[in-house]
Amino acid sequence: MTDVRVSMDPGNLPQLPRPATEPWRAVNKSKSVKLAISAFAPALVAAAVTLLLALDPAIGVVLVYLPIQILTSVFIGRSLYGKKGQGDALLVVFTAFFSLLVGGLLLSVILSVITMGLRAMSWQFISQNNIYITPTTSLDYGGVGHAILGTVIIVGLTTLLTVPLGILVSVYLTETRSKMRNVVRTLVQAMSGLPSVVAGLFIYSAMIVGLHIGYGGWLGSLALLPLMLPTVSRVAEEALRLVPQDLRNGALALGAPAYRAFLQVTLPAARSGLVTALILGIARVIGETAPLILTVNSANGTNLDPSKPMAALPTYIFQFIANVYDSSVQRAWGAALMVLILVAVLFTAARLVSRDKRAAKRK
Amino acid sequence: MPVKRKLSTKPHSLADRVFFGLARSAAYGAVTLVGLILVFLLVRSVPTLASQGIGFVTGGTWNATLSHPILQIGPMLWGSILIALCGVVVAVPMSIAAAYFIEFMAQKRIAKIATVVIDLLAAIPSIVIGLWGLTVFTPVAAHWAQLINAGLGFIPLFGNGTANFAGSPFIAGWIVAVMIVPIITSVTREIFSQMDRDIINAALALGGSRSTSFFKVILPTASGGIVGGVLLGLGRALGETVAIYFVLNLSFDINWGDVLENRGGSVASLILNKFGEATHEEIGGLMAAGLVLFIITLLVNWVAAWIVNIAQPWRRS
Repeated sequence: MTDVRVSMDPGNLPQLPRPATEPWRAVNKSKSVKLAISAFAPALVAAAVTLLLALDPAIGVVLVYLPIQILTSVFIGRSLYGKKGQGDALLVVFTAFFSLLVGGLLLSVILSVITMGLRAMSWQFISQNNIYITPTTSLDYGGVGHAILGTVIIVGLTTLLTVPLGILVSVYLTETRSKMRNVVRTLVQAMSGLPSVVAGLFIYSAMIVGLHIGYGGWLGSLALLPLMLPTVSRVAEEALRLVPQDLRNGALALGAPAYRAFLQVTLPAARSGLVTALILGIARVIGETAPLILTVNSANGTNLDPSKPMAALPTYIFQFIANVYDSSVQRAWGAALMVLILVAVLFTAARLVSRDKRAAKRK
Repeated sequence: MPVKRKLSTKPHSLADRVFFGLARSAAYGAVTLVGLILVFLLVRSVPTLASQGIGFVTGGTWNATLSHPILQIGPMLWGSILIALCGVVVAVPMSIAAAYFIEFMAQKRIAKIATVVIDLLAAIPSIVIGLWGLTVFTPVAAHWAQLINAGLGFIPLFGNGTANFAGSPFIAGWIVAVMIVPIITSVTREIFSQMDRDIINAALALGGSRSTSFFKVILPTASGGIVGGVLLGLGRALGETVAIYFVLNLSFDINWGDVLENRGGSVASLILNKFGEATHEEIGGLMAAGLVLFIITLLVNWVAAWIVNIAQPWRRS
């Protein structure tokens, strides 16, 4: 025993050989090798087995790959962390599997829209309208120009109606102390669950059957209103709530009436959030199809008069999917790509606007 | 001596009264809109409901050519519920896994990208999903359905007497799942992110592992919010129209649970399907169908909003 104590003197320490593994490190060489094996080996083995036995890829994934992956991960998890490594390995495998499934589905949607849509895309497809076009007409003629204009007019009108209304509702929810606020908030949010076809049916029964007004773009705008309102008012409410209460109180203490405190202090402070509300609201309704079919009908020519039937991108897609001809489905994909481009532009704009807000806050 | 000003919390100047009046009328207007939609649909559907009676939601015949048309939506109503359930069963594991991945596993930068990707999925219009579902997804899913049927066909749920695997509630359920995954994920993710990290760390410090802290701490704490998110997704799934319209074969021959068979129902798709060449009586029937659908989704959404509200105390003002 005494020998050991004597050897504590640093000068006398014997030079120990460096161990092959360094178990005290969180990630050492043997651990990373094992982790790499558990990550890649099952996929390789399963791919080899599937190819060699000429199995169906679907069977290969579910009946070969998943069992091998689970077994490998459990064994390696056990050898690395003992018993609790088993459960962790299972958790990691399932989380990764389902997350990749979500990502794969999304990727499949986006990639197929882009690849199929690009085949139809050309300047003439964007600029021309649909007069004299049948489902079998070659893609060299006709396009979605009229539908793009129709979508812009219908959604633009909806925006003009909904955004002031939505922002006023959010003002009511944040700037007043009324007891009705919770009721209003719940009801407006319940509207977000309104099936879009029912919104269309409402305008149809109220306007077209009830008042004998003919199909028209502005009825479509009205039908989109209840679908857009919950999104706008929710996002705007969050934006207004982010403005510090001290700013409002400061303005009021300086003698400003409530409306000027709002217009000159709260509104500028929440501007970027309100723009986000506007953009997200537009993105919510730009692809809505069922309400437009019920209220706007459709047109082949270019029409800028919202009191008459007009085409829109979603109804254009709807019209052309139904046909089985290749060129017709191609047109649908082309229009789908146009819709996705519009949505992507709106979302990028929303992110840029909200980033500005964060940058401004840091200063 | 200046006149004493009355102290009051009510707005006293005209401009302020106009300002708050505008806000109040907008709020009440929005509430009125919900009521108006209900009232209009109710008025238009009363004749149908009166002539069809309770059979409207329980019966399974739709024939508008008779002198006394029989309009019943039972199979459609059950089909909507069946598809929504299929969608939820598929979407819940995916959503919880994605939310767990974003909040607890991924690095900050990857988590941010994944969040944007999920939001993007929410922004894809349903007509685009329908187009994808019809041309890209249906062949793949029909193949899977065939394999499931070959392997597990002895279970009644997966039986299919015909050789046709397209247009089934199974495929429609997957399409709906693609559309509700973002909703459930974003609610779950928010619950996860607002969770008290101390209790998770405490579980780890007591010797728990990732999996035990997930199953014994994270999941029970977040379950209320997750259920609310699932119900929100269910409401969306019940009202889904165009995406299902293209991938589902509507049939008045009621399909109780053979999810792989080429027949199903959906109230929203029925409205779109019959709307074009509907007779006057049929329009009334479709209005009534819309009313039933709206009431169901409204109830589901209210319960969902209530649960989410309780589970997210930091949201209450």
